[in-house]
Amino acid sequence: MTTTRAFPRSMQLHGQRAGFRPLLLSVLASAAIVVAACDSGGSVADLDNGGDDGEAMEANPDHEGEEIELTFWTFVDAHADFLKERAEEFNAQSSEYNIVINSSVADFGEMHDRLLVSLQSATGAPDLVDIEIGRFGTFLRGEVPLHPLNDVVDEHRSELVEERLAPYQLDGVEYGIDYHLGTYAMYYNKAILDEAGVDADDIVTWDDYIEAGKQVVANTDAMMTSVEPASASTLLGLMKQNGGGIYDENNEFILDSPANVEAVQLVSDLVHEHGIAEATPGGENHEAVYYEAFNNGEYASVWMPQWYMIRFTDFMPETEGDILVRPLPEFEPGGFVSTMGGGTGTAITTQIDDDKLDAAKQFLEFAKLTHDAQVALWTDLGFDPFRDDVYDHEALAEPDPWFNDEPVMVNLQQTFDRLAPEYTGPRYPEASLQLGENVAYEVIEEAADPQESLERAAEQVRSLDE
Amino acid sequence: MTEQHAPRRKERRRKPPFFQRPWVVAAVFILPFLVLYGVFRVYAVGYAVVLSFQDIQGIGVTDWTGFSNYRRLLSDSTFFLALRNTALYTAGTLLVLIPVPFVLAAVLQSKLIARPVALRSAFFLPVLTSLVVVGVVFSLLLTTNGLVNSFLGLFGVPAQGWLETRHLAIPAMIIMATWRWTGINIIYFTTGLSNIPKELYESASVDGAGPLRRFWHLSVPLSKPIILFVTVLTIFGGFQLFVEPLILWGGGGGPGQGGLSVVMHLYRTAFTSFQLGYASAIGVVLALIIMAVSLITLKLFGFFKKE
Repeated sequence: MTTTRAFPRSMQLHGQRAGFRPLLLSVLASAAIVVAACDSGGSVADLDNGGDDGEAMEANPDHEGEEIELTFWTFVDAHADFLKERAEEFNAQSSEYNIVINSSVADFGEMHDRLLVSLQSATGAPDLVDIEIGRFGTFLRGEVPLHPLNDVVDEHRSELVEERLAPYQLDGVEYGIDYHLGTYAMYYNKAILDEAGVDADDIVTWDDYIEAGKQVVANTDAMMTSVEPASASTLLGLMKQNGGGIYDENNEFILDSPANVEAVQLVSDLVHEHGIAEATPGGENHEAVYYEAFNNGEYASVWMPQWYMIRFTDFMPETEGDILVRPLPEFEPGGFVSTMGGGTGTAITTQIDDDKLDAAKQFLEFAKLTHDAQVALWTDLGFDPFRDDVYDHEALAEPDPWFNDEPVMVNLQQTFDRLAPEYTGPRYPEASLQLGENVAYEVIEEAADPQESLERAAEQVRSLDE
Repeated sequence: MTEQHAPRRKERRRKPPFFQRPWVVAAVFILPFLVLYGVFRVYAVGYAVVLSFQDIQGIGVTDWTGFSNYRRLLSDSTFFLALRNTALYTAGTLLVLIPVPFVLAAVLQSKLIARPVALRSAFFLPVLTSLVVVGVVFSLLLTTNGLVNSFLGLFGVPAQGWLETRHLAIPAMIIMATWRWTGINIIYFTTGLSNIPKELYESASVDGAGPLRRFWHLSVPLSKPIILFVTVLTIFGGFQLFVEPLILWGGGGGPGQGGLSVVMHLYRTAFTSFQLGYASAIGVVLALIIMAVSLITLKLFGFFKKE
């Protein structure tokens, strides 16, 4: 009985296998091929967060000027809206050109990847494009596929905070114009400081900050601050403030410089020696769990650029009226008390038609650098302008009830003469990744030696060009 | 053979109209696939291999560099870190995504469950879920005070920082992969199990074999081909790890680069460092590694043995 029944079983097995082997081998071959061809990043497109496929302004048919359509790629909806509004203003004032912005908004990574591919393949790139500061360096290698903007910038150079131009320069040539200055500030929660008996205005140096932190930890349930183990920005802010950063003004790579080691050591000490800071919940200051923790009064302070103000009003309702915006504590008397963080440069690609270039330059200048444009950066986008002469405008001088009823922007301007510059270079993107993923994690979570960690990271970045 | 017969046929009857000749019809049906396959697969792969022998940095700068990209790979510690992470992830998914769906498929196949179709659909749902949603949900599930830690807390396991700890990055991704891929593997295994003749089970029952023995001595050996198939697919999927770290950690490397995969390293090399030549070399080597691992697996399963 058993034998006869076993017979069909072996038949069955054999039958399945005969057709199965070619199938499996073909799947094997095609999957291997897919992997080999997978340098496009595979499924990035799956992450498209519903970006639109192009949205053109309506051209005014009555305008006497030449109609110029400019395609514009960005990864921020508000930037697209901003440029369209600026285009309407421009058209109202210009009789020469009638600018029509045709914008496409895509996911951050996808937009930059598409841009690289279209510039590499010499077709399909937009006329105007937003390139984030962390990716800008990628576009400054080899033959730069962006138009120099010196003649645009030179018109306003004497009014501009010069330091904001540096990230988008190569060999003295300007390639991008930012949306904001991105001044670093220390945001204190006044309610917690009051409970601890600390006056924020008495904190001048980092030593003062540490002493105040000890008071906060002793007298309240809060920590003085949190530091990000999964992002470069906590470290990079202080590195730049201390005169370091990723590149210096000579385009030298300085990730493991003594100034950087000292800054990272300070962050390490706040956590491991003084016990007044801990790792940011969720790893970054942009995580929902962190907003919740800060909102609940678990931290007395955080250092972030000016554009972080809007996070308090949007995500941390309990902080209303309690947030003080102050300069960073200084490393040395008279030293830098701020620097800049983040940024996005708008650039003109070399694929623009020659007969549109003049209009594009005129428009970019109007939209980003004129007095009115820089006021609009604050009123429309909530960003700190990088034109010095707009800070006495009434819109910027208004006291803000959320921030202790102080004229925050006017106060910030007082740090501009003690603002550490930021330089980017060809390996800025990789160095920034190393800082966020390795150095910050090792130093904050694993108490690694800052110097050794920075040296390892620098070595990784240098090895890219060996 | 065909060539010998062709002239005789030609004499006997007239040729059918051009578009009715069998090879023309076949070609018309196959051509669209061949063209697409040729352009997007064969050409792309061939071009990637060519690129891997070039140094491409920045726009319009291309040099032939022989094997230097491959030599560089040997001293690229990030590549080996990524390879280690990817291999661990693949091993982890193999340990979970073969036995668990197989047992579930067998249970759903048996008469033990009242509504197997409803359950099978429920298991399959994650496959259809948008990746963005998966990312958001798992970020919440895996936070320190999330559901995964609450569940583990029932067994006295202390709360873990799944998404914030270097050595937990891979387990976190395996948890997510288990949720996403169990359903599809159940479908594969169900297909395999339903091909096993019922009489075998009946006769085994008559011979006194209980459910466990029937499972172990009938279901498992008779499903060997489908287990092999799913194993190889899981190896492919594991080594192509890319989306999971991208949606769990915005940057894609994870805490202390504990979640950095080979394809993520390749992607960054191509699009952050813009070294397309080196990235292609990583892709070629990865393809060879996958081939090798898959062939070893086939060998271990006795796939090449003549019966």
